[in-house]
Amino acid sequence: MMDLVVGVGDMKVSSDPGTVLATYSLSSCIGVAVYDPIVKVGGLLHYMLPESSLDGVKAKKNPCMFGDTGIPLLFKEAYKFGAKKGRLKVIVVGGAQILDQKGFFNIGKRNYTLLRKMFWKNNVMIDFEDVGGNVNRTMKLEIESGQAWLKVSSGGGLKKI
Amino acid sequence: MRDVERIIEGIDTLRPIAYVGDKVMKIVSNPDCSFAELADVIKYDQAMTANLLRICNSTYFGLRKKIASIKQAVAYLGIERVACLLMMGNSADNLKNAQEGYDLNEGELWRYSVSSALIAQDLAEKKHLSNIPLLFTAALLKDIGKVILNTYVQESFLDIIKTVQNRGLTFIEAEKEVIGIDHAELGAKVAERWNFSPAMVNIIRNHHNPDKAPSDDLSIPIVYLADCICMIMGIGVGSDGLAYRYYQDVVDRLHFSEIDLQKTIANFREKLRAVEELVDVSRGDW
Repeated sequence: MMDLVVGVGDMKVSSDPGTVLATYSLSSCIGVAVYDPIVKVGGLLHYMLPESSLDGVKAKKNPCMFGDTGIPLLFKEAYKFGAKKGRLKVIVVGGAQILDQKGFFNIGKRNYTLLRKMFWKNNVMIDFEDVGGNVNRTMKLEIESGQAWLKVSSGGGLKKI
Repeated sequence: MRDVERIIEGIDTLRPIAYVGDKVMKIVSNPDCSFAELADVIKYDQAMTANLLRICNSTYFGLRKKIASIKQAVAYLGIERVACLLMMGNSADNLKNAQEGYDLNEGELWRYSVSSALIAQDLAEKKHLSNIPLLFTAALLKDIGKVILNTYVQESFLDIIKTVQNRGLTFIEAEKEVIGIDHAELGAKVAERWNFSPAMVNIIRNHHNPDKAPSDDLSIPIVYLADCICMIMGIGVGSDGLAYRYYQDVVDRLHFSEIDLQKTIANFREKLRAVEELVDVSRGDW
């Protein structure tokens, strides 16, 4: 199986059973994985900042940089592959913060708050999440089985979710 | 607790950049410095010159004309930038290897060092600070202590991480408590051994403790903030995670707003491909 790396501010959707979607170094950024077990389609998004209103031009050029443009795009792209919203398993990872990071500077928390609001509005349930804290995370998703993996910097290597 | 003196002896395993580093820093800290003086430092070193030109010609700098000499490099990029790039070309050997204790793969520490130095340079230019090469070099080399401490962190990782998790200490505080010395202090000792200026030693020593900077000093806050921005983006973040302290009052001293933070992150992402190329070229993977 081949790791298809999802870079920072990027997204990949695949139905290739030989592919494993992987994203590294999720600090304050958030990784969102979706998977439809019936059509065996999976997607992974790695967004950096909450809102695209920061810079409309950049958001248009690279919507996956922002949560409010990247999240809808991830779902829409998965639908193109035949995935159905009601069947999607949703995993959310990341949103870490530096110790004592408060207020607006806490990008990790803001990234997560935005996601919760969008999911609430659109009736999306999270099946598994590992967010916050002061750790760095790596996440993988196997397209064939839908098996997801998580590695947390505080130790232990890759573990099944 | 380890024998700290023995750990410090590890400095001798690094490839010294003392001669070039010291010379370059002295030249550019003089406001009347000339390109001839800078050229003098490297004119007999063909490898160093070739390395510098390769870096200048990377797409990051977006120069339309191919740079073929140090004179041209200074004309197009300015003497301060060329000094920064000389330091970059001479630092990769020490920073490019994997650091297993910090869970950083080959090239990750170098990628982080370059990114952090570029962000610090950008912040310093916006604040119109003088002596940007000093800041750039300090940001570039500030984690050199990790290269020496790496094996000790690997051996004591469980104790360090337990200290972080159970007692709310930062990773660097835990390094000091478990091993006897931390990577910032060790990095400062490297800078001292290489005869860098007290200002450089001070930035490296306090890059995680910017609250110790005098209130009129912006160099430590800038190098600190550049490090925080890298941490937020996940650049160079390994087994230490984000277990470092955030000082809002220090960031406020730079009048750096939330929008500034988000814009810096977005701008860096936009340049990412060019940065990656610069990282590779300067590492010697051409």
